[in-house]
Amino acid sequence: MATVKLTEITTEADFAHLKSTIPSSALLVVYFHAPWAEPCKQMSTFLETLASTYPSDRPPKIAFASLDAEELPEISEDYDVTAVPFIVLQKGAERLETISGSDSAKVRTLVEKHAGKGGSSGQAGLPPAQQVIKPVNGPAQDGVKDLSAHKTGPADPSTAPEFSSGEKSKEETFKRLEGLVKAAPVMLFMKGTPSSPQCGFSRQTVALLRERSIRYGFFNILADDEVRQGLKEYSDWPTFPQLYADGDLVGGLDIVREEFQNNPEFLMEYSVKPAASSPNGQTAAQTV
Amino acid sequence: MSLSMTPMQDAMTVKISEALRPTALEIFNDSHLHSHHKAMQGSTSKETHFRVSIVSPAFQSKMQPARHRMVYSLLKEEMAQDGGIHALQLRTRTPEEEDRIKAQEEADRGTPVQDLAAK
Repeated sequence: MATVKLTEITTEADFAHLKSTIPSSALLVVYFHAPWAEPCKQMSTFLETLASTYPSDRPPKIAFASLDAEELPEISEDYDVTAVPFIVLQKGAERLETISGSDSAKVRTLVEKHAGKGGSSGQAGLPPAQQVIKPVNGPAQDGVKDLSAHKTGPADPSTAPEFSSGEKSKEETFKRLEGLVKAAPVMLFMKGTPSSPQCGFSRQTVALLRERSIRYGFFNILADDEVRQGLKEYSDWPTFPQLYADGDLVGGLDIVREEFQNNPEFLMEYSVKPAASSPNGQTAAQTV
Repeated sequence: MSLSMTPMQDAMTVKISEALRPTALEIFNDSHLHSHHKAMQGSTSKETHFRVSIVSPAFQSKMQPARHRMVYSLLKEEMAQDGGIHALQLRTRTPEEEDRIKAQEEADRGTPVQDLAAK
C-alpha cells in the first residue's frame, strides 16, 4: 500500500503546486528546517516516519512538505519562521497550529487531532502514543515522581539519550542539561555560533574569550528550544549568553566583562598560549 | 495627572528602589539601539533593552550571579510579559566596591593637566 511521503520542496513554484493539488480539507504539515541545526535531523526522520503511517489517498487527506528555511526566505518570512525546526499545520489557507522547536510528541498529537491517526505502524514502527500525564497539583505522592509511564517498550526505537526528542520529563531534560553545562571546562550557551553570532551580547562574550585565548565549548541555543527554555529554569537565569566554568554558572556578558576587568586571573587557567599556528583555541563542543 | 511615557522604566525604578534601597541607581534605555534587530520586528514597545547600574549594600557577601538573580526576580513579571523587557544589562556593586573601583579609575586616569598647571 502506498503511504504518504515527506516531500522536499525546493522552489516556491513547487510549494504553490503542492498546495494546489490537495483539497482545502486536507491537512498540510509544513516543516521548516536548516541543514546546520542538529535537532532538525531527528525531526526530519520523525516526520518521514509519521508521514508513512498515513495511506496515500486519492484525493489526499494529508500531506507533509519539508522546506529549507534559508533557501526559501520568502516563504519563511510569510510563515514568520524564527527558529528551526518549525512546523505549521494548515488546511487550505487557514493556519491551525504552529510548533517551534523539537517537541515531536506535540507535533504528532496535533497532527492526529486534525487528521486522525495514521493506520499502519509506519516504516520504523512508531511507539504507541503515550498518554500525557498531567502533573498533580497537590503535594507529590511520597515526594517521588512515578516515571513508569515513560519506560521504553520493545517497540520503541533505540536512540542515544541526547537524541530522544520525544516526550521528555523535566528530569530527563535537567539530566541532559547537567551533562551539557559540563561538556567542556568552560561552556558558553549563546545565540548563534562563535563564527556567526546572532546577538550582540553573544558576539561580545565570544570576543572577550577570544581576546584572552580562553579554550571553551559552545552551544547554539537558537537551534534547540529544549535547551533554551530548560536552561533558564535549570539555572534560574532568564537571559543568554550564559557562561559556565566547571559546570557552575558564571553569568552573562556583564559579569564576564566585570570579572575580566577586576580579576586578572579570571579563567586564565583555561587559556591557551596564543601560538602562531592556533590563534583561536576554541573547541566547538556543540552537542549533538 | 498625565500618563508616563516610560511605564516600564518607572516600574523598574520603583521596584529596585524599594527592595534594594540603593545608594545609586541608574537606568539607561538602549532599546533604540536594538530596534532594527530581527527579534524586535513587529514590536511596538520602546522599552525593551535596558542597562541598569545599582549600588546597594544589599549585595554584600553575594557573588555576581546571586546579585543578578535578585534583580531578575524583582523584574520577573516585566521580563515574562509580551513586549516587556527583552534584554537587561546589569551592574551590581556594593558601596565599598563602587568606591574602590572609582578610586582605581581615577588613579588610572592620572592627575588632570589643569591641576598641575594651577600649582
